Amino acid sequence: MITLPLLEKPQQSMKQWRSLPQLHEDAAFAERMGEEVIPAADPPSRRQFMQVMGASMAMAGLVACRRPVQKVLPFARQPEDMIPGIPLHYATSMPFRGAARPILVKSSDGRPTKIEGNALHPASTGATSPFEQAALLSLYDPDRSRTILQRGQPAAWEDFTETCAQLGDGSRHLAVLAAPNSSVTLARLRAQLADRFAAVDWVTYRSEGDDTCTLGIQTAFGQPLRPVYDFSGAKVVVSLDADFLGPTSHNFAHAAQAFAQNRSVDAMGRLYVAESTYSITGGMADHRMRIRASDIGALAADLAGRLGAGPRSAGATASDVFIQTVADDLRQAGSKGIVLAGESQPAEVHALCAVINAHLGSIGDTVQLLDTGEEQQAAQHEAVSSLTERMRAGEIDAVMMLGVNPAYDAPTELDFAGALASVPLSVHVDMHRNETARLATWHIPATHFLEAWGDSRAYDGTLAIVQPLVAPLHENARSEIEVLAVLATRNTQNAYELVRDALRGVLPEPFEAGWRQALHDGFVDGTAYPSVAVTDATLPDVSLSADAGIEVVFRLDPTVLDGSFANNAWCQELPDPVTKIVWDNVAAMSPATAEVLGVRAKYSKGRYNADILTLSRSGRSIELPVWIVPGHADNSITVTLGYGREIDNVRPERRTPVWDTDDKTDIYARGALANGVGQNVAVLRDVAARAISTDIKVAPSGRDYRIVTTQDHGVLDIEARPLLRLGTLEEYRDNPHFALEEEAPTPGSDHKTDFQNYPALWENSHPADSPVMRDSNYYRNQWGMVIDLNTCTGCGTCVLACQAENNIQVVGKEEVGNGRELHWLRLDRYFVSRTGTDLTDDPEMVLQPVPCQHCENAPCEAVCPVAATVHSPDGTNQMIYNRCIGTRYCANNCPYKVRRFNYFNWAKTIPETVQMAQNPQVTVRSRGVMEKCSFCVQRIRSAQRTSRLEDRDLARNEVRTACQQACPTDAITFGDLNDRESDVSRQRRDPRAYTMLAELAVKPRVAYLARIRNPNASIS
Amino acid sequence: MATAHEHTPPLVTGNLGFRDITQLVSYHTEKRPPAMWYLVFAVSSTLLVMLLAMIAYLFWNGIGVWGNNNPVGWGWPIVNFVFWVGIGHAGTLISAILFLFRQQWRTAINRSAEAMTLFAVICALLFPTIHVGRVWVIYWTLPIPNQMEMWPQFKSPLLWDVFAVSVYFTVSLVFWYVGLIPDLGTLRDRARTPLRRRLMAFLALGWTGANRHWRNYEKAYLLLAALATPLVLSVHSVVSFDFAVSIVPGWHTTIFPPYFVAGAIFSGFAMVMTLLIIARGVYGIRNIITLDHLEKMAIIILVTGTMVGFAYITEYFIAWYSQVEYEQYAFLNRSTGPYAWAYWIMMSCNLLFPQFFWIKRLRRSIPFLFVTSIIVNIGMWFERFVITVTSLHRDFLPSSWDYFNPTIVDMLTLAGSFGLFLTLFLLFLRFLPMVAMAEVKMVLPESDPHFYDKSA
Repeated sequence: MITLPLLEKPQQSMKQWRSLPQLHEDAAFAERMGEEVIPAADPPSRRQFMQVMGASMAMAGLVACRRPVQKVLPFARQPEDMIPGIPLHYATSMPFRGAARPILVKSSDGRPTKIEGNALHPASTGATSPFEQAALLSLYDPDRSRTILQRGQPAAWEDFTETCAQLGDGSRHLAVLAAPNSSVTLARLRAQLADRFAAVDWVTYRSEGDDTCTLGIQTAFGQPLRPVYDFSGAKVVVSLDADFLGPTSHNFAHAAQAFAQNRSVDAMGRLYVAESTYSITGGMADHRMRIRASDIGALAADLAGRLGAGPRSAGATASDVFIQTVADDLRQAGSKGIVLAGESQPAEVHALCAVINAHLGSIGDTVQLLDTGEEQQAAQHEAVSSLTERMRAGEIDAVMMLGVNPAYDAPTELDFAGALASVPLSVHVDMHRNETARLATWHIPATHFLEAWGDSRAYDGTLAIVQPLVAPLHENARSEIEVLAVLATRNTQNAYELVRDALRGVLPEPFEAGWRQALHDGFVDGTAYPSVAVTDATLPDVSLSADAGIEVVFRLDPTVLDGSFANNAWCQELPDPVTKIVWDNVAAMSPATAEVLGVRAKYSKGRYNADILTLSRSGRSIELPVWIVPGHADNSITVTLGYGREIDNVRPERRTPVWDTDDKTDIYARGALANGVGQNVAVLRDVAARAISTDIKVAPSGRDYRIVTTQDHGVLDIEARPLLRLGTLEEYRDNPHFALEEEAPTPGSDHKTDFQNYPALWENSHPADSPVMRDSNYYRNQWGMVIDLNTCTGCGTCVLACQAENNIQVVGKEEVGNGRELHWLRLDRYFVSRTGTDLTDDPEMVLQPVPCQHCENAPCEAVCPVAATVHSPDGTNQMIYNRCIGTRYCANNCPYKVRRFNYFNWAKTIPETVQMAQNPQVTVRSRGVMEKCSFCVQRIRSAQRTSRLEDRDLARNEVRTACQQACPTDAITFGDLNDRESDVSRQRRDPRAYTMLAELAVKPRVAYLARIRNPNASIS
Repeated sequence: MATAHEHTPPLVTGNLGFRDITQLVSYHTEKRPPAMWYLVFAVSSTLLVMLLAMIAYLFWNGIGVWGNNNPVGWGWPIVNFVFWVGIGHAGTLISAILFLFRQQWRTAINRSAEAMTLFAVICALLFPTIHVGRVWVIYWTLPIPNQMEMWPQFKSPLLWDVFAVSVYFTVSLVFWYVGLIPDLGTLRDRARTPLRRRLMAFLALGWTGANRHWRNYEKAYLLLAALATPLVLSVHSVVSFDFAVSIVPGWHTTIFPPYFVAGAIFSGFAMVMTLLIIARGVYGIRNIITLDHLEKMAIIILVTGTMVGFAYITEYFIAWYSQVEYEQYAFLNRSTGPYAWAYWIMMSCNLLFPQFFWIKRLRRSIPFLFVTSIIVNIGMWFERFVITVTSLHRDFLPSSWDYFNPTIVDMLTLAGSFGLFLTLFLLFLRFLPMVAMAEVKMVLPESDPHFYDKSA
């Protein structure tokens, strides 16, 4: 009759726990609690009822005299080091394209809330790529697979282990199709598999196809070595279609870091880029040549010939001057010269680059070749096609697919689905019920790397333990190691023990100490691959293509990679660094090619309607909207992988009544968000999955499609609006202050003062200097930021770091199209043309990060009728969300347009799991309020709190904003302007420093350092 | 009060006497309204209901149901706000300023113009209220003592706006009501039912028409006119500060206050003209609101329209003269950019069309006046659109440039505001004397104490 449900049971689908003891004791604890309060209950009699009610009445009266009692249950035993509300950081690493990315994960009360680079690690130095930032959201992806499926029906883990046990008569033929993986544990299990099965075919499968880089090196040196380029010491870097600064790059953080050092104005190297599409590496180039990807081989051969590293090719080419200059420059640089080829280039070009590097003597100097211990390998496409052949022939009894999705991205000519159907047992392990999951007989939900134990090696080989921070959110999820272990050992094993067993002997002795040290540091020092010295390089045969038709180049997408990040809302909404397109993939081409094809991307009234192009190859065709990229090579079309996904829906759709727009504004409303976004271009590739195809037919379809970008097209007239300031190294040496001189003169006859010191309207009673400000303890620090345009590549890491740190919601394609994206930090892309050239042919490209400028005379503050945006004593412009009524006047009056308005209640509709990704130190904004960059005020305050508790002054450069921390090139500097020796103060005194729109006398606290290019005089 | 001069055309035609005027005006508040009234009322009240539905939809979902976006934080709601405030200028101008300048022809139109003012200001007040993101805390813009110990931020023009418009509304309401008192007395005396008599007696505040009452009434009216006069000029000046105080190119201009006031009078007179041309026809009061009245309004429209046009051109001169790239681009973009169509609608409606009023035949042609008055208001709506939207959509950083597209909700809300306005205006026509009878009687030749001497 009276049941008092005291402890409401949490939903069992997800279990959050804070410590192992708590986890184990939970059940017993709840039981005890229950007993204590509810006496072993018979149904109460009338008499008992009256007693209880009487007592209740009396107590109700008492309650009125006291504050209501609420119970807060403490930990039964407080875990060491854990203080509720204070986040902890754990070192771990993220497996990414076969290598470990060292990371530090912030855990807020038991749930991971932010991923940062591991500053201790030699390959990271604290930086990340956008993918590490986004990986956090993948953990909380609401569309993750939750149930084990056997032929589409839910099954139990025991059913699976049973099935595996039956396989074990030693006569079966197993095939494993696995994503590149450097795990020691996995390698050990692989060896164990060989004992249990008659034969094991282990095929490494990359969505993008062959690992042409390794194959090329193998051709040149006979060994599959791994190149590491030291750009910091290079005088001349020649990139042949290599986007080594792009976020998909294998050794991203290290390459970007080293290249940033190369850009120092004191010892500046020179970067030549020859590429087909505009990449951010091309944007950083001192000289860039647009050239079809299929012509790069000829260019490389020509270059090798001119350098004497290969046979001299006959005849002058159109790019004669360029190649000759590059060759001369390289010859001069000698061992300080690097030539590298991009992933889309065939192995021969990589081999040719290796030969050139060897010829220059840079191998061993600026180029290190690491011995990964791998054996000679065949090309992936050969291995995969022979496997499918054998599958079709019925030679394979079981196939395991670990983290791969061949049904989606294998070339259709292989007919992987058909081959899979002829295998009696196929097991698919992935985080999503995706295209391959539907075809496999078994689907096992995979754990995220933050949920399961593992290990991995960084690009340089440094071993790292993958340490989980949270128990699997979905109880059926298993890691690849655990699934493979069932197959290898016939019983369920704990991944923790498996990893420890595998690392015994690898970690320094004594094991426990070594293990703990490795967990703490996030890596094992001194385990990098050894560098090998090679001498003679074999010149490869370069088959020069004579085909001058239209080529199609397949590349990894800079935001969703090969599709593994396609269901990640942050990645989908992260604008492509160059095109600024969100939530779509396109066929990018040059203006001239578009004209030849008779297609265009029409812009009208804020909407881009791009003509759809039909790309077809031997009976298969896809339709892609076109996009015109200035500076793209003619007769070349760039498409990116990773779109057009079809993931099974595991959640109910959101349905709301007609008057409620929630179902339209919620990006999670209609199942997996990757579905229906873009087109899957992988199917168009030939059977070898080559990145460059010249036999694809291209024709306009006559229809068009809406493309959404965060920015219009537009070539900036650099003279009229000096928003970004560029100069050459020569100009800089002549006049280091050139950037400042582009500023408009101050009013008045003498032009004496500059705008930074220009008196404000209410100078005598400036609110920032009022007594209440001066008396504040915060007044001592005056925060400021400097962004170096010379090292900023525009990779987008800062945008996602900011999004993760500051709980910035994702609004979806439609709303970005309506101009309502919420990114606090954006990357403005400008194409810059020198006058006298064809504007759209060979423009330079510069990306400029724009956060809130925290103006000292902030125009937003003066116009707010309710004082919801005010200045803090430490000189930041603060947004008081709960004071804001949403007039949007501040946004109108912001000359930098950095303010973002919550047009809908986006925070309301985010799924439960995604709510766990929110940073508890930052307010989740509701509808109707303005928001903007806060200079990560929560980080400032937390550092100040820590220093106060430790009874010390705030250390110099102690506070780091999220964007600054994540930046791989350290282009962002943040700190105290009152401290003359802080990094930010020193940078602000740099002669290149200028503020944007200084002539408005708003006195921004964010300064930019002008970009310097180092062009070769003999070209221009 | 002064009398009409004999050599000027009579302000009231048709040889109407005092009784005729009383009869002609009061009659409409007492009888069943014409079928036309019911028809228009049905339409306007439907629009009003739609407005309420749109507001409910907006409040439920958020500002995103409109077309506003990131660079264009203010879209149609603010355009509508300035538009309606502008319309709300004619009434008080006619009542107060023309009163002080002894423009006797104003008597025929001032009552309805003032009523129109009030209703337009109600429409105007609606928009800034609903356009804030969190309407449930809009009272934070008012200086109410509160537990947060927070004042509003007095430097913000939006706050000045709150004061300016609400003061304007209050004074206009009082002014209008004071002017109504003698006529309410008349209605009370004519009332047939006790309820109506009581109600009118209450509203007439015991008006008896005594000499003393007239003296106090006229003094009060004069003082209120003096009080309202600066408000006519200030309210739209303050509204213009919303733009002029900002630093947005195209907004940051010192010419805005006079230019806005001229534009407001321009649009207000056009709206009065539109309404009265219909009302005088429907209600058969052509003798009270004569063609001469309409012609005088046309002249004011011509003058203010030319002033506004002059301001448009001055802005271009200043932009060129300033040598500021951003300023120059803002104006170039207006006339040649993606919103050039809106700009040229504005230019032709506001500068070009009123110039036809130089021709006497045209400014005495009812159809032409009617069409032009509507064109002027279309032009003035576009003027506010051009100022608000084209300035915002492309300002300093080309990377943030975007385009504004209104949604269906924007459009229905604007249409709905006309429903609100018309519904209120129709109720006014139905229940209150649409012409200030007492004042019109004062300008009859018979009101001259020596009238009969002369005629004898």
